[in-house]
Amino acid sequence: MHTCKRYLRLYRVLVTQFLKTIMQSKVDFLMGLFGFFFSQIIGIAFLYLVFQKIPSLQGWTLDQLIFIYGFAQIPRGIDHLFTDNIWMVAWRIVLNGDFDRYMLRPMNIFFQVIAEKLQPDALGELLVGTILVVRSLMKGVVVIDGQHIALFFVSIFAGALIYTSIKLFFAALAFWLKISGPFLQVAYQMSDFAKYPTEIYAKGVRFLITWVIPFAFVAYLPASFFLKEGTSAWMIGIECVISILFWCIAYAVFDRGTHAYESAGN
Amino acid sequence: MRKSLRVYLPFASNELKRQLAYKGAFYLFILVNMFGAFINYYLWMAIYGSSDQAILGGLTRNEMIVYVFMSYVTSSVVSISIASTVSDDVVKGTVAMNLIKPIDYRLSLISQAVGNMIYRFLVPAVFIWTGVEIYKARALGLPIVSIWNILLYLLSCIMSFLIYVLFDFCFGMIAFFTTYIFGMQMIKNALLGFLTGQLIPISFFPEVMQRVFDFLPFSSMVYTPVMIYLGKYSGEKLGFMLCRQAVWIILLYGAGSLIWKKVTKKLVVLGG
Repeated sequence: MHTCKRYLRLYRVLVTQFLKTIMQSKVDFLMGLFGFFFSQIIGIAFLYLVFQKIPSLQGWTLDQLIFIYGFAQIPRGIDHLFTDNIWMVAWRIVLNGDFDRYMLRPMNIFFQVIAEKLQPDALGELLVGTILVVRSLMKGVVVIDGQHIALFFVSIFAGALIYTSIKLFFAALAFWLKISGPFLQVAYQMSDFAKYPTEIYAKGVRFLITWVIPFAFVAYLPASFFLKEGTSAWMIGIECVISILFWCIAYAVFDRGTHAYESAGN
Repeated sequence: MRKSLRVYLPFASNELKRQLAYKGAFYLFILVNMFGAFINYYLWMAIYGSSDQAILGGLTRNEMIVYVFMSYVTSSVVSISIASTVSDDVVKGTVAMNLIKPIDYRLSLISQAVGNMIYRFLVPAVFIWTGVEIYKARALGLPIVSIWNILLYLLSCIMSFLIYVLFDFCFGMIAFFTTYIFGMQMIKNALLGFLTGQLIPISFFPEVMQRVFDFLPFSSMVYTPVMIYLGKYSGEKLGFMLCRQAVWIILLYGAGSLIWKKVTKKLVVLGG
């Protein structure tokens, strides 16, 4: 309990420091936010144009696809907001020996890594996601009752955890490879596949994004639970199990990595 | 002419050498980019599967497959960004060095971009292109593209490249006003992916918007060369499309010179 309080207080202090740096450059902040917002909106415009020519895509309507698309943005945005510094571990913190300072402090190393940075650009993704989900609520495309609302939030957090786990796993490879950024980039980019119903892909691709790098569990699979009445709530259960499983694996690899870490030295 | 070639050729060949030095990162970059093309491919297959019409936006299913991969090839060869180099030079102040050297800053950037373009053409593009042709002949039963179309396509691509680079130079001038060009780059890339025809053929847009796009340089960057490759243009229309590309090169060149002159007049560089 005591340690928990201490960590919360530290997090607040670190985040306040970080927010000050953002306030220094408001234009940059707004442009980053707008950039992410805009690049996601283009995806919707694409779907809209296509649906001028077809009534439905393999049984999915435009409204349903927009919900899937928007729903996918929220866990992505949450992870992006809080754990963006993991990218730096993959690209340079291990390489140039900056990781030393995390090793020296008497605090959880993972906590220190993520507490160092908030990524306000992520608000662009969260904004798109929220707008699209609210739109779907108003259009009545999603099932609304107590159970679904509660599981909606569970699913979002499980989804964010899947994102974080995948990022952490590939970033941790940097402890052995020095730079793992390109691998992380490839893995992270696979999340783009999950913006659309996985049925449209070939079997191999579907297997890959469901079970190996499980982005399908972040977006499409839970989203279909909210869209179709009578879909079993087990879908969210499986999502949670997968997120915890992948988190344990990723954290174990990261932990092993910190022991294998060799500083750059001079 | 000979002299300027001697001055600017090293920029191109150095860039080519630099790129060849970082092969590993580049292959992964290509892989990541290919994801986009494959997602597009599967998406279009599903779209054609869900449609009761055989032709969407003027393209058959098989033509669309060629379109998806050739637009990928085209945009990867053509869109060589120089804006980030400009922004780096401005932020670090090294742009001042370029002002006192007896070379044209823009021309040196374009030469670098040429080196980069040749590299991208050699490493992924040619292989994917060949793959597309083999797939076309074997699996789709379409005739292989004619030499004439290849030549026209290459000519159109070179013009596309110039349009893109000259446009990007103008865009890079934003760096003189804000140091955080990352957000702007993202908006630019998203917008270009959409308006150049890389993501979706221009023929899918509503009529009114297509008319508007006729007056913008973007469709000349990817859509025009790919349509030429597919043999969709002939006779007068073909000539018109190529002329339009040439006109954009001239207009953007003029615009770039004008902005550059204005901007460098009030340039302030800290330190030295």
